[in-house]
Amino acid sequence: MTASISSDSARQISRGIGGALLVAVVWELCARGLDLPAYVLPAISSILAGLANDAGSLLAAARFTATESLAGYAIGCLAGMAAAVLVTMVPSARSVVVPLATAINSVPVVAYSPLVLLWFGIGMASKVVMVAIAVSFTIFLSTIAGLDRVDRKSVDLLRSFGAGRLAVLWRLRLPTALPLIIAGMRVSTVRSVIVAIVTEMLGAYGGLGWVIYQAVLQVDFVKVWAAIIVASAISLAFFGAISFVERRYVFWR
Amino acid sequence: MSGAASVAGNLPVASTGRFGAVVKPIVWLVAAVVLVEAIVVVFGIRSYYLPRPSVIASTIMATPGAYLAGLWRTFLETVLGFVAGSLFGVVMAVVFHRWVLLREMFFPLFVVSQTIPVIAFGAVVVLWFGNTLLAKAVISFYISFLPVTVNTLLGFSAVDPRQVQLMRSFGADDAQILRRLYLPAALPQLFVALKLASSLALVGAIVGEWFGDTTGLGVLLLQAMYNENVAGIWATIVVSACLGMGLYGVVAFAERRIVFWGGEQ
Repeated sequence: MTASISSDSARQISRGIGGALLVAVVWELCARGLDLPAYVLPAISSILAGLANDAGSLLAAARFTATESLAGYAIGCLAGMAAAVLVTMVPSARSVVVPLATAINSVPVVAYSPLVLLWFGIGMASKVVMVAIAVSFTIFLSTIAGLDRVDRKSVDLLRSFGAGRLAVLWRLRLPTALPLIIAGMRVSTVRSVIVAIVTEMLGAYGGLGWVIYQAVLQVDFVKVWAAIIVASAISLAFFGAISFVERRYVFWR
Repeated sequence: MSGAASVAGNLPVASTGRFGAVVKPIVWLVAAVVLVEAIVVVFGIRSYYLPRPSVIASTIMATPGAYLAGLWRTFLETVLGFVAGSLFGVVMAVVFHRWVLLREMFFPLFVVSQTIPVIAFGAVVVLWFGNTLLAKAVISFYISFLPVTVNTLLGFSAVDPRQVQLMRSFGADDAQILRRLYLPAALPQLFVALKLASSLALVGAIVGEWFGDTTGLGVLLLQAMYNENVAGIWATIVVSACLGMGLYGVVAFAERRIVFWGGEQ
């Protein structure tokens, strides 16, 4: 059984790599064969060369963006979970807060970014705030959904043994909610990097969004693609880290 | 059953219930607006941080044409991208479901591409398609099809294989099994993704307009920011909020009508 599973996943991995290689080769052949100009589609090889060329500045920009996304992500997760727990503890607030949060969540987050830029300046603070806003609503809604999944009878059982509200929260509601919370956290990783980059495009002193914006102005599209690759590497690593934590610690889902 | 429902529908109680469901949020909204207005006036908050709601309203009313034109343009881009993205997303899910080889070769790439900050492509896409409505619709499309594919596949995988065997034993072909078993089974998951995709598509359209355009909500945002016109930014936020909630509301309404058997929540 284990042998068949491992050969199964080996086949999947090799096919996945095969697919990626196929796309890369087709891309390279299209760009080289059709002699496409760099502003239409640069060849993969020239993007990689550009990546090596600008490694220093791209790395610095990546560190900038990663710091912003991580700080905003941490703040957003904590704020979202805390708010959700508070709302669950005070049932009368629910009927107002939850529809309101759903409504605000359907407003495009990027619409706030000019306002946040004016309020917090074009330094790192504005990006951290934007990421925190974007992440906290997602986490809030998924935490609420998770905390609600608890079976009414299990709560009654715990209460009948004399457990207080906090004990019910800690021993029953949070463990039940954790799979949904962490699924929300996994989705938010990608979102946090995107929001940081978008906000940087509007105004910043550094970061990948700023690099992309500058490169577009200078019509340096190899650099745009190089920055895109670095940005995806960051979000992929971030996504992978949270997925690893999910598989490792939320084993009961 | 249907007789009882129609009787209940004729009762005045039911109609006040529906009336209340419509009126209650509006009352809350009006109360919130009045409250914000009062807070701004009482605490003397400078309009640079938070303009009075009445100022925001009068900003919209001063040039309603600009906001309406921007709303219409962004709405078109979003809906084009959203509809194309959702259809493509479902088709890709069916293809990946049908041909395992294709799924194993390309699905990892799809997942990787989901982690790419798609917005970074904005400049490239605008270059490819020109500064047109189509370019923004393409960005919306690209942003919205991935969640649809992922969730539809998730819905397919929940189908009981014994039901497939049963249908096959009655002589159903692949198309019939897809239409009558797999697609209905995937609908609840699909709508979860559609609700997400509708707001993502709007984000894509707004950000796409930042790469150069003359009408649209994204343009209005940028112009207001460069002029440090905070009331203008708020006015555009309010208009985009209406658009976002409207789109979400339409999808949620369709979900309640189509997935009448419940599903998520």
